[in-house]
Amino acid sequence: MESIEKSKKKVDQLRSKRQKESWPSLSLEEKESLVHRYHPDYKKEAYRAIRVGPNQGDETVHELADLLEGESPVADQEIVLTPHHQADILIIGGGGAGATAALTAKAMGAKVLLATKLRLGDSNTVMAEGGMQVAIGPDDSPVRHFLDSLRGGHMKNDPTLLKTLVEEGPEVARWLIEIGVLFDREEDGNLSMRGGGGSSKPRLLRCKDYTGLELMRTLKDCVLNEQIELLEFSPAVELLTDGEGHCAGAILKNLDNQQSIVVQAKTVILATGGIGRLHIQGFPTSNHYGATADGLPLAYRAGAKLTLQDTFQYHPTGAIYPEPMAGILVTEAIRSVGAQLVNLNGDRFINEMETRDAVAAAVIRECAEGRGVETPAGRKGVWLDMPLVDIISGEGTLAQRFPNMARQFSRYKIDISKEPVLVYPTLHYQNGGIKIDVNGESGLKNLFVAGEASGGIHGRNRLMGNSLLDIIVFGRRAGRAAAERAKQADFKKLTLRHLDLFHEAQKKEGISPQTVSPVLFPDYVKKN
Amino acid sequence: MPPQLESQSPSVHIEVEGVERQVPTGLTVIQAMWKLGRPMIHGVGCLGGVCGACPIGVRFPNQFEFKTALACQTEVQDKMSITFYPSDGSKKAVYSLPAERPSPKDLFQYYPETKRCTACRACSSVCPQGLDVMGGVRAAINGDLSGMAEKFTACVMCGLCAAVCEVQIKPHRVGIYARRITGAFYPKKPAALLNRISEIAAGKYDAEWDRVLSSNPEELASLEV
Repeated sequence: MESIEKSKKKVDQLRSKRQKESWPSLSLEEKESLVHRYHPDYKKEAYRAIRVGPNQGDETVHELADLLEGESPVADQEIVLTPHHQADILIIGGGGAGATAALTAKAMGAKVLLATKLRLGDSNTVMAEGGMQVAIGPDDSPVRHFLDSLRGGHMKNDPTLLKTLVEEGPEVARWLIEIGVLFDREEDGNLSMRGGGGSSKPRLLRCKDYTGLELMRTLKDCVLNEQIELLEFSPAVELLTDGEGHCAGAILKNLDNQQSIVVQAKTVILATGGIGRLHIQGFPTSNHYGATADGLPLAYRAGAKLTLQDTFQYHPTGAIYPEPMAGILVTEAIRSVGAQLVNLNGDRFINEMETRDAVAAAVIRECAEGRGVETPAGRKGVWLDMPLVDIISGEGTLAQRFPNMARQFSRYKIDISKEPVLVYPTLHYQNGGIKIDVNGESGLKNLFVAGEASGGIHGRNRLMGNSLLDIIVFGRRAGRAAAERAKQADFKKLTLRHLDLFHEAQKKEGISPQTVSPVLFPDYVKKN
Repeated sequence: MPPQLESQSPSVHIEVEGVERQVPTGLTVIQAMWKLGRPMIHGVGCLGGVCGACPIGVRFPNQFEFKTALACQTEVQDKMSITFYPSDGSKKAVYSLPAERPSPKDLFQYYPETKRCTACRACSSVCPQGLDVMGGVRAAINGDLSGMAEKFTACVMCGLCAAVCEVQIKPHRVGIYARRITGAFYPKKPAALLNRISEIAAGKYDAEWDRVLSSNPEELASLEV
């Protein structure tokens, strides 16, 4: 505790000096070298080759490889594949992408069933703080948004998906306003915008630092108004196929009575989100309770290929103190208005508006080289000096523009306008996922994917504000394409043929799975 | 296990629904429940204080008053007595947004009980976000939907306000209605956004796209547009 207080004093003392410092941006080479040396994506011992399935031989982290090679929870069960429910479209996942897909498909006349693990809206969407990137400024353009995102993604983004993302941004912003999303506005009625790491122009639309809450609350209200059929507390545990390479439905599990629910659907949309709660490489996470990447093993066993499955985003500024806040996100937007990152000695060490992978790598470097601050619980991190925001933009700015941050820290008697807080990278986002085409369709026909479960849009590092955009743009596209498809399609026979094939492949490779996947929840509960 | 959850000490005594238990310090109420072997599937959502799934009541010995809070945002303390509340079960009105800005009175066809507010302030007193809930309700009654919308920016829809209202007002549901009406019928148009949509439709960027999409990665890394 003593060294924390001592270090905090240095942060206070050097604040006015630091305020005037401008910190150079990294050159492309410097950035690559920093990221390769310190970013967790490049830690060899955390990775292994996947031994079976469509990505056999490709590398990913142990935690995900275990899921992909895992056994189906229905493998040892006798489930009669007579449908309890039938729908044109089964949507699995009730976050922003799933809700958007449901609304779009319903508007086209499709019969939609939305199943979700927890409640409608329990997702990473609701937690998004900073905003949604849309290129609308007079000196900005979709092409510029494209290039920023491509560079941020280390040029590994799928260009077609990325072009679609940025080009449809303005249209989806209009749609969101139409359904009543209340973005922050300027005096003249224009949408208020701010900057984000790696973005050459300010293009973040936001609602204070509750942007995801605002989006999710509104989408949820729309889904309920449309009276879309919902199955809450009913996660998918296996997909169903027709034996001829088409997705035909899914088996859900009712978490309240443990019964299986068989759903026959002409098309299925997976909107199951990311992997944070599996704590890859032991990192804390900013993700919601259900973020266990359920869609990845489901789609994979049924034959859909993943892309960029080896890359994850560690958000540079997850809280590490006080202990109950560990992993909770401190929005990047706070750095865009002047908050600085400062090490044990009170010194800056990176331009705060570098992309997230570079900033995270720099924080890890500071801690690895002895310039980190240790908390009483033994976590190491650096300071995020937020009082600067009020010094630069006037007293009350933090409270007015970042009420979520101010409120969360105030619960632990920390006033972010008066003192710096300790942060370390927190597992935030799954950069890759199930490979999709521009309509969200996976390699398995009639299986669509939207949101964080999909891969390719963001390359190897997602820019801030591009995921809220992604879930709406691709949620709409998947909903539209699935509804079109369902018009011409019939219900198919329900089989688990894909599991037989997967088992044969496992046997051939001599794999006896160690994990049952999807895992549905993190392993936090003490076994009594 | 999240890192370090295992090695906590010392510990505190808490009371969970009448039963005294011992848990390590430095945990949220939800983490403490996991530690005690309680799965918490209902009553847990984002773990970040914004989904409203985990409302609780807490009280300390010799303290008459219950305090409401979110379990994921509350650190366990010695002698804390904890009761879990179910997440929101209030009835939502089914409506669609009209084509034109509605009269503020339209609210009452969906939520007629709103007018019956007795100004008892119970809603504000239980809000775990500390919102001026009653102020929002009064604004709505007076036709100021945007005033209510502003007060409900941080509403996590936990529904505690509705649960304690003696005349069955659903302030959080009125709040989202007020926000949607305010957002959808904002008095001034977002001119730059609408302009950009027209520019894209008119093909303003087509030539630039051709240039960008025909460039190789090395060129793209330094291309200026």
